[in-house]
Amino acid sequence: MSADTRNRSGLAGALRDLPRNVWNSIFRNPVPSNDVERSATTFTNFFLHIHPVKVHPNSLRPIYTMGLGLISFFLFLILVLTGIALMFYYVPATSQAYDRMLDLRGSVAFGTILRNMHRWAAHGMVAVVFLHMCRVFFTGAYKKPREFNWVLGVVLFLVTLLLSFTGYLLPWDQLAFWAITVGAAIAGYAPVVGKEIQFLLMGGNAVGQEALLRFYVLHVAVLPAVMTVLVAVHFWRIRKDGGLSRPPEAEIKPDLEVTRPPAVLDPKRTYGLQGLVRGPLTRVGDLPDNELYSWPHLFRAELFVLVVTVSVILLLSLAFNAPLEEPVNALHPPNPAKAPWYFLGLQEMVSYSAFWGGIGVPGIFVLLLLLTPYLDRNPKGVGKWFAKERLLANTVFLTFVVVNVIFVIIGTFFRGPNWAFVTPW
Amino acid sequence: MRLALAIGTFLILAIHGVVFYNQFSHRWERNQVAYFDQARSLAKSEAERTSLADRKPRIEQIVVTSFGETRVDRCTTCHIASDDPRFVNHAQPLRTHPYSPALGDLEKNGKWERRHKFSEFGCTVCHDGQGRGLSPEYSHGQDHYWPDPLLGYATQAGWRKDFLPMLKGKAYLEANCAQCHTEPGFRGTPTVERGRQLFFATNCYGCHKIEGLSDGTIGPDLSEVGRMWKVDYLWARIADPKSVLATSIMPKFNLKEDEIRALVVFLKSRKGKNFTETEIQRFKVKTAGGAELVQATLRPVVIKPGEMVAQGGKLIEDRACTACHKLGGRDGGIAPDLSFQGLLKDESWIFAHFKNPRSTVPDSIMPAFRFTDDEFKAMTSSLVSQKSVPPLGSPAATYQALCQRCHGEKGDGHGLIAEHLDPYPRDLTNAGFMNSKPFARLVDSIRNGVPGTSMPAWGRILDEAKAKELLDHIQKTFVKDPRKEPPVRQVDDKNVVAMSKESMDRGAGIFVARCAGCHGKKADGKGANALDILPRPRNLRNGWFVNYASDRRLAESILYGVQGTAMPPWIDYGLSRNDVGDLINYIRGINPKPKGDQNAGAK
Repeated sequence: MSADTRNRSGLAGALRDLPRNVWNSIFRNPVPSNDVERSATTFTNFFLHIHPVKVHPNSLRPIYTMGLGLISFFLFLILVLTGIALMFYYVPATSQAYDRMLDLRGSVAFGTILRNMHRWAAHGMVAVVFLHMCRVFFTGAYKKPREFNWVLGVVLFLVTLLLSFTGYLLPWDQLAFWAITVGAAIAGYAPVVGKEIQFLLMGGNAVGQEALLRFYVLHVAVLPAVMTVLVAVHFWRIRKDGGLSRPPEAEIKPDLEVTRPPAVLDPKRTYGLQGLVRGPLTRVGDLPDNELYSWPHLFRAELFVLVVTVSVILLLSLAFNAPLEEPVNALHPPNPAKAPWYFLGLQEMVSYSAFWGGIGVPGIFVLLLLLTPYLDRNPKGVGKWFAKERLLANTVFLTFVVVNVIFVIIGTFFRGPNWAFVTPW
Repeated sequence: MRLALAIGTFLILAIHGVVFYNQFSHRWERNQVAYFDQARSLAKSEAERTSLADRKPRIEQIVVTSFGETRVDRCTTCHIASDDPRFVNHAQPLRTHPYSPALGDLEKNGKWERRHKFSEFGCTVCHDGQGRGLSPEYSHGQDHYWPDPLLGYATQAGWRKDFLPMLKGKAYLEANCAQCHTEPGFRGTPTVERGRQLFFATNCYGCHKIEGLSDGTIGPDLSEVGRMWKVDYLWARIADPKSVLATSIMPKFNLKEDEIRALVVFLKSRKGKNFTETEIQRFKVKTAGGAELVQATLRPVVIKPGEMVAQGGKLIEDRACTACHKLGGRDGGIAPDLSFQGLLKDESWIFAHFKNPRSTVPDSIMPAFRFTDDEFKAMTSSLVSQKSVPPLGSPAATYQALCQRCHGEKGDGHGLIAEHLDPYPRDLTNAGFMNSKPFARLVDSIRNGVPGTSMPAWGRILDEAKAKELLDHIQKTFVKDPRKEPPVRQVDDKNVVAMSKESMDRGAGIFVARCAGCHGKKADGKGANALDILPRPRNLRNGWFVNYASDRRLAESILYGVQGTAMPPWIDYGLSRNDVGDLINYIRGINPKPKGDQNAGAK
């Protein structure tokens, strides 16, 4: 690009030019100093090209997104990396799993911190993905044309729950064993196929070796693969659906008359492929817009979120050790036996009615969540937190969130032996 | 933004620094370096010194495969001097494990040789703790979740503070010695042996099962109790049963601290399976039961004919009868008062009750203890001599002294020991029942008792007049409704249907159709509806009671129902007098006539 790309001659020259040439072969562009280079950097770097060259300032407002989607993604990255490291040591066998946990805690290099990071990032991801979903709802960001991305998001939330749930069993301690026993029992309340699903999940009638192996394979292979593919589609759809949602008044309408009807192609002109697909609307020239270059605005913000996420997870992992309870004793359930915290709302509801609490109500919730963008077709109120036009929808959703959170809190803190009501103080 | 990024990045770097420091600076490494230094100064030869200088800290571990599941013991990583005899006087962790003839160690020419070599036994086989751990807290098992903390050494945060000092000491290690040294009377495990004897002497075996030793069914099976529970739980469960489980019916035994310790160590040694047993031996014990072992372990007392009463009294005290019963100064609060047993029961009844409590009270929860007949006879003599009549003043005082323990302060049948009695004591506030029975019958129940139940005959203590006064008091205080004599029903005194096979068969058919819902298919009073009914349906397998109830009473109860209870008048539901006769024949047919007499009574 710049002037000093000319090479020196001879072998000595090649060697002297080697570092620069290697660097330039990897990074096509120098650190950008003008808008063309900023565009080129974003455009030509594999890891950056998933971003647009320019972003709308609304997408950069911290208060609008709170970075929740990014945090979810970074937590997923942390989980993949620490998870792979833990896989080097873990054995999915009932006779060995717990001993391996003890080794991780005691004698394996960096075992404790890796396990802590994996555990806290997993809990964090469940929470953050849920908060991300709340953000998208309260800003009306699921509306046309982003309906399907919302559906993908709901599915990703379910996959996150499943990943966390399958990972819960792997330490093979009392906490894991009984939480999964309870959780799998909830699946058994489904009508007609409930017991079959439970059997398929556990590979038997009780949690044992088969269940451990199944959960392991689901946790380290199947679900991460599903997650990766869905996350990729989720991201791709953000670009194809026109970036993050924003209020219509934030758009600057280009003062440009479209003189040509989009459907009529001029046989004498050459069209780019994109122009064909989207219609010949390729804008050329100095169009007015208020967008900012991704480099550096977007990337700096992303780096900031990454640094904060990693710092928090590291701090948590340093301060709190992931729990490891007694080895599994199938004859001696703790009282109460509790599911993982994010399923305690379900367990609380199950304590009132097995079917309605465990399957009926959550099933209806998930169905409603999936159908939300197709039921709520009011196009107004996009891109604003708690828009007035969406008072009804937001109130309904807020009620749903609050009720679930209350159930989780009751299940976590206010339930003692025999699921009797206790006060935690 | 830039400042925040810089701070965040610095934070990440700092945390990594801490993590790496933790990773590469272990306490055990410092311990090992200290050991190498000290050993070098103690070394005698140059070669030893150089080899010590070359040693680098590393994790030491012993893989133990001969004792149950494979263990990985890394204890010697810190306790690296445990087998180095020069470190006898050093402070832990760099201290030689003691040599002792008691452990089987041999001294030859000033050199000790271990009987239990660490390379074969490891550490946790004897000491418990978590072999894989490398920090003191985890490896000693002080972490609340670890099931086997170092026996007699480590305690956990959740343990009761007042028990902590008692849970320490070498005696606890015997529980693990006994995993291999199982022979009774082994010299190395005196505490286990004492505990085993106490298990029988204090009658634990009456309620608890330990495979191969005892077969009690009232309390939990203790065959694997040492594997399931930690010593603090065992201690609390014996020293103060209700503190662990408020609904526990286990009595609080009058045990001294060293006796509790012996029992805890003995129970800790019960792990279901020990290292010496083979599967086939276990199977044999399971099929043969442990009765012979019990008899062998109990040390029978030789009874001298002249000192029966005194010796019996001592036995009653030693064998913890007052853990349940009331006698002398002690009251277990679970079983009846024995203070005036000689006035209530005669010798043959008490002896029969000792031999098999259910032969006299079919639903008694009293365990059948395996004492010798002589011992039982002595204890019987002692009980028969208990004739101190309680002070009987007003009828209210009489009620308080004799009736309240079962029928309760309010007369509602919820007395102190009521929940342990079957059938449950009568609710005297139930006016429907009380006023549906003739006065004479209530007097009879008091004076002659109700056979087959815990209601004794008070006839030798209360004469006719006193019993009537007591009943008047009950009527006024508890029943509250004025006394009404029930109408005399037209019921035949003798069963109208003669006893025969055919009649019994017909009765069985009617019973299944009409009665089994409450009284149960087996007529044992445990039908499907029984739990919803108070008072509970009568156990019609109670031979004593069935034999005592006259034809007339049975027929009247069936035909006209029992007021104040769930028993309906079957005459309204289509049972004829002949049907009732068949039912009575069926009920009498399934209950062989019991031998002997139930109550001393007024006779």
